[in-house]
Amino acid sequence: MNDKQTAETWSIDTDTPLQAVLDSPDCPPLLHHSLIGPLSWQARNETSLRTTLKSPRVAPQWIAALLALGAAVTIEGEDGQPVQVTLEEVVQRRTRSQAMALHIPTKGLRWGEARVVRTPADEPIVAATAVVEMKNDIVQQARVALTGAGSEPARLAEPAALLAGGPLNADRIQAVAAAVEAAVEPTGDFMGSAEYRRAMAGVLTRRALEQCQSQEI
Amino acid sequence: MNQNSLSITLTINGTEKTLTVQRSDTLLDALRRASYFSVKFGCGTGDCGACTVLLDGEPVRSCQIRATEAAGRAVTTVEALADKEQVFLPSPGLAGLHPLQRAFIETGAIQCGYCTPAQLLTAKALLDRQPNPSEAEIREALGGVLCRCTGYVKIVQAVQRAAALLRGEDPAPFAPIEATLAPDTPLAELLGEYSRVGADGAPLILSPPEMEHLNVVGQGEPKVDGVKLALGQPAFTDDIQMEGMLYGALLTSPHAHARIKQIDASQARALPGVHAVLTHRDIPRVKYASGGQSYPQPPPFDQVCLDDTVRHVGDRVAVVAAETPALAQQALRLIEVEYEVLPHVLDPQAAMQDGAPIVHDEPDTEGIYDRQRNIVHHIEAEGGDREAQWAKADYTFEQEYRTSQQQQAHIEPHVCITYWDEDGRLVVRTSTQVPFHIRRMLAPLIGLPVKQIRVVKPRIGGGFGNKQEMILEDLCAHLTIATGRPVRMEYTRAQEFTSSRSRHPQIMRYKIGVTAEMEVVATELYLIGDTCAYGTHGLTVQMVGGQKGLTLYNAPYSKFVCDVVYTNKPTPGAFRGYGSMQCHFGIEMLMSEIADRMGWDVIEFKRRNWIKQGEELLLAKALGEGREGFQQIIRSNGLEDCVRVGLEATDWYHKRGNETWRQGENGMRRGIGMSVMLHGSGIAGLDMAAATIKMNDDGSFNLLVGATDLGTGSDTILAQIAAEVLGIPATDLVVYSSDTDFTPFDKGAYASSTTYISGEAVRKAALKVAAQIKDHAATMLGSDTSEDMTLRDRQVFTPDGSSLTLEQVALSSLHQQDQHQIIASASHISYECPPPFGAQFVELAVDTETGQVTVERVLMVADAGRVINPITASGQVEGGLQQAIGFAHCEEMVYDESGRLVNPRLGPYRVYRCHEMPHLEAIFVQTEEPTGPFGAKSISELPLDGIAPAMADAIHDATGVWIREVPFTPERVWRALRSADTYSGVWQI
Ligand code: FES
Ligand code: FES
Repeated sequence: MNDKQTAETWSIDTDTPLQAVLDSPDCPPLLHHSLIGPLSWQARNETSLRTTLKSPRVAPQWIAALLALGAAVTIEGEDGQPVQVTLEEVVQRRTRSQAMALHIPTKGLRWGEARVVRTPADEPIVAATAVVEMKNDIVQQARVALTGAGSEPARLAEPAALLAGGPLNADRIQAVAAAVEAAVEPTGDFMGSAEYRRAMAGVLTRRALEQCQSQEI
Repeated sequence: MNQNSLSITLTINGTEKTLTVQRSDTLLDALRRASYFSVKFGCGTGDCGACTVLLDGEPVRSCQIRATEAAGRAVTTVEALADKEQVFLPSPGLAGLHPLQRAFIETGAIQCGYCTPAQLLTAKALLDRQPNPSEAEIREALGGVLCRCTGYVKIVQAVQRAAALLRGEDPAPFAPIEATLAPDTPLAELLGEYSRVGADGAPLILSPPEMEHLNVVGQGEPKVDGVKLALGQPAFTDDIQMEGMLYGALLTSPHAHARIKQIDASQARALPGVHAVLTHRDIPRVKYASGGQSYPQPPPFDQVCLDDTVRHVGDRVAVVAAETPALAQQALRLIEVEYEVLPHVLDPQAAMQDGAPIVHDEPDTEGIYDRQRNIVHHIEAEGGDREAQWAKADYTFEQEYRTSQQQQAHIEPHVCITYWDEDGRLVVRTSTQVPFHIRRMLAPLIGLPVKQIRVVKPRIGGGFGNKQEMILEDLCAHLTIATGRPVRMEYTRAQEFTSSRSRHPQIMRYKIGVTAEMEVVATELYLIGDTCAYGTHGLTVQMVGGQKGLTLYNAPYSKFVCDVVYTNKPTPGAFRGYGSMQCHFGIEMLMSEIADRMGWDVIEFKRRNWIKQGEELLLAKALGEGREGFQQIIRSNGLEDCVRVGLEATDWYHKRGNETWRQGENGMRRGIGMSVMLHGSGIAGLDMAAATIKMNDDGSFNLLVGATDLGTGSDTILAQIAAEVLGIPATDLVVYSSDTDFTPFDKGAYASSTTYISGEAVRKAALKVAAQIKDHAATMLGSDTSEDMTLRDRQVFTPDGSSLTLEQVALSSLHQQDQHQIIASASHISYECPPPFGAQFVELAVDTETGQVTVERVLMVADAGRVINPITASGQVEGGLQQAIGFAHCEEMVYDESGRLVNPRLGPYRVYRCHEMPHLEAIFVQTEEPTGPFGAKSISELPLDGIAPAMADAIHDATGVWIREVPFTPERVWRALRSADTYSGVWQI
């Protein structure tokens, strides 16, 4: 695995298999959490970071964690030179260039993840991942990403933005949860109807943010 | 080599190999073609992990990797684990095996053995990187390999044990914990010593003080097939390659109901390499029923091999045989079918309405009760005085319960190879639970006499009832007849879901009358059994359900009314639990609901009413299996002790209703629930088994049985029964099962009959052989009587203490004196089918905001009579619990409106994995069943029966809400909690 850890960011070559990420002593708890459970050891050995960026549904919790962390991706620019773009641009397929490296912010952040599953290691029906940056008890920035509330893992920027500039308290968390519930447009399937997924998006966002009150990356 | 072929060089098990592969080949394809048969196919979609190998030391799924990606790399398969030269030395024991293989055998971690190579390799990779893993680390590592047999308990124990061996430690022998249970035994003390919190415990066996200790029976003997399965030897149906073998493939219906107007196979037939394409026009229309049951099979005969009407998505349309699997698939795509799509019906209640689409309108299916309303059978049975008993009832309770369609999900798919042997006889090598039924049922379909067919059953990679069915054998045989070549057919995993069998979904309405003194005086059950497209097992599953559901409390008045209904869904069949588990769900829930409603202690209410020793089963005669049954009396019943032990082991009265214990964080609430259950041991007056025992020169024996070990360990316990009689270790018996040419008849592995019926046949044969040995010993010793001689320690003893070894007797009888073969066969049929009993306890947590249920602990306390082998028996319990938890919690075949199954994959369908299992415990309370071999009853199906109601009871304890439909998925629970709008208890009767 080719990787580089700076004070704030962990950069990894996209050829790296997921298992190598998990095995790395630099792997933050949120990413560790996102890589176990539904993803088997075998799958982690077979799957490179590049594959997950191309097909987010291969490892949706991992992608949601990266979105919540605000990860960036180095891609090959049109002139062949490396260019850095946001992970969202890659996941939403706004760029088709080959991903070369992933850059993951790792310091000074708080995280939370909540999911609803049929069985403990099942692919979540809905899951919410939240990452919050605090300074002097004031939220500087918050990111919330969901799986199971849309066709692919997605970050919900607007509801999470409601948190910035104030404390991370129950009322403000509830407001974000309600905004997330209103914003998502889930499609129902045999694991959960659209109505259920929408309701869970709110409940789980609230729980994920509540965990951020105490959980450091 | 064609243009898509190329050579790759890689290292396999330390040896450099060059393989010719196609670009599209997976590593799994390439390895199996190169005869690395330990690498198993289970799904091809990355869900099961059975195909796991080590690639440069790391576990990967070989079905998810192109063979070309392995070029230049090192592949390890299980064939490399042992030192085979040592293993195959004379009397090797477990020498030469890798510590993991040894530990898997010693702990009983191998049942069918199909997942074993993948488990072993994954565990090896783990121990290579972490010599002292925690239980959680072991479970996480093994999470990618599904096992459908074991509940993973013993697999985890085996890895822990192997880790200790590899660290140079000397762990104590793995053996059951045995204790005496007298009426006055202080249970708290007894159970305090037995803690299975952690995964290092063995099963607990509690025996009455008067129970005699036996030498081989009752011991945790390793499975007789353990070594070969641990080695990954080519033991399964598909583990051979035959010269000139063709690959069969099945075209299935995309419609829930349609008539085939036109079918044009000309393009498929013209494809080079395709040797046969068969449609309904090519095969005689012979009516049959596919369920592997005794002669005469229960009606209706509503199937033909290939029909001009399809009745569910996944129904048979055509078959092809081609030189490669890829060509066979290509040929299927070239078959042009024009369908006239017909209206379909998916809901059984809708199917019974006037004007519903008629699923079987063909005139040549006889015996349908009400064709217009799709009712294939209408059953009514009652016992007792209706008016008198209902008149005693102070309260009447009535409620409806629903169960879903669960799939067996054995990891080895249905697979079959047929070929002509050198005598022009058709050999059917197949993964079946019923080789003798297959031979009889197949003959008329393919126009051959029974004597011209030989059915061979190799090891089976799990069946759970789904292989008590003729699924592929007829089609494969037709292809061999059409081509003259060996043909192999194997289902895809999706076809396992859409085109094999499953569990009957049921709707049941129970009505119970009780007195104010807690006495159940009347029980009525109206059951709708959804038999879907075909009626196989439809009659018998519902009759068993009614019989068991109404027998547990054996009310003085009991009535059963049932409609078995056709719909346009994939057909259910036999599945471990066989109607009984569905009907236990209803009766046990209603009993718990009544206790709750009346404010009665649920244990006391059930205790007063459950069937007791000496009672006659009210409906046993009226409800046999597809025919009239036989009167039954309970001769052994350990239920009271099962419950007593379970209550103490779970600390029931401390937890139940304890608000402090219930409360968790974030809307979590804990609950504890229980159920009691009974099952049967074979089918009274119907199941027959036979066994032959033959003595060899060295005093060893061949045990030939038609009984079909599908991973349960039945070969092993049959050997133990024979060994106990013959005074030898079980390893002195070479067990061979089953082959219709070489082993005596047995009806096969179903109805929890093998221990009880086949076991008694073996005991009888062994007794005959023992008598012959004694007679010959008397001749050798010049004695005029063999009376009072005994067999023990591989010797025969006279009352005066002189002895001969069995080897001396064998050599004399075969070569020297009064020469003859010491050999005997015996058959057994029983007109009794004594129920094993059990109690199950579940602790779980309910997330009241999301509806998510997390099962934390499951305990089963079972009375299976005398336990022949505690290791295999506890394995049956643990594996059964895994399937029962799946039924109650997450497994469900779900259809869209067009009748298409939306989750035909092991992942989305959801089979419990190693790293999400609750803590499982098995305790046996031994009794002596006077009619069973050495006092044994059955165990294999009993564990399925009570988990769903125990979970519902626990959810109610946690939340106050009854959920009357399985599985308890998050949304279903969430909706139930919301509609109840309270956690304080709602009564809806
Ligand atoms: S066969 Fe490869 S994962 Fe199932
Ligand atoms: S032993 Fe694991 S699938 Fe049978």
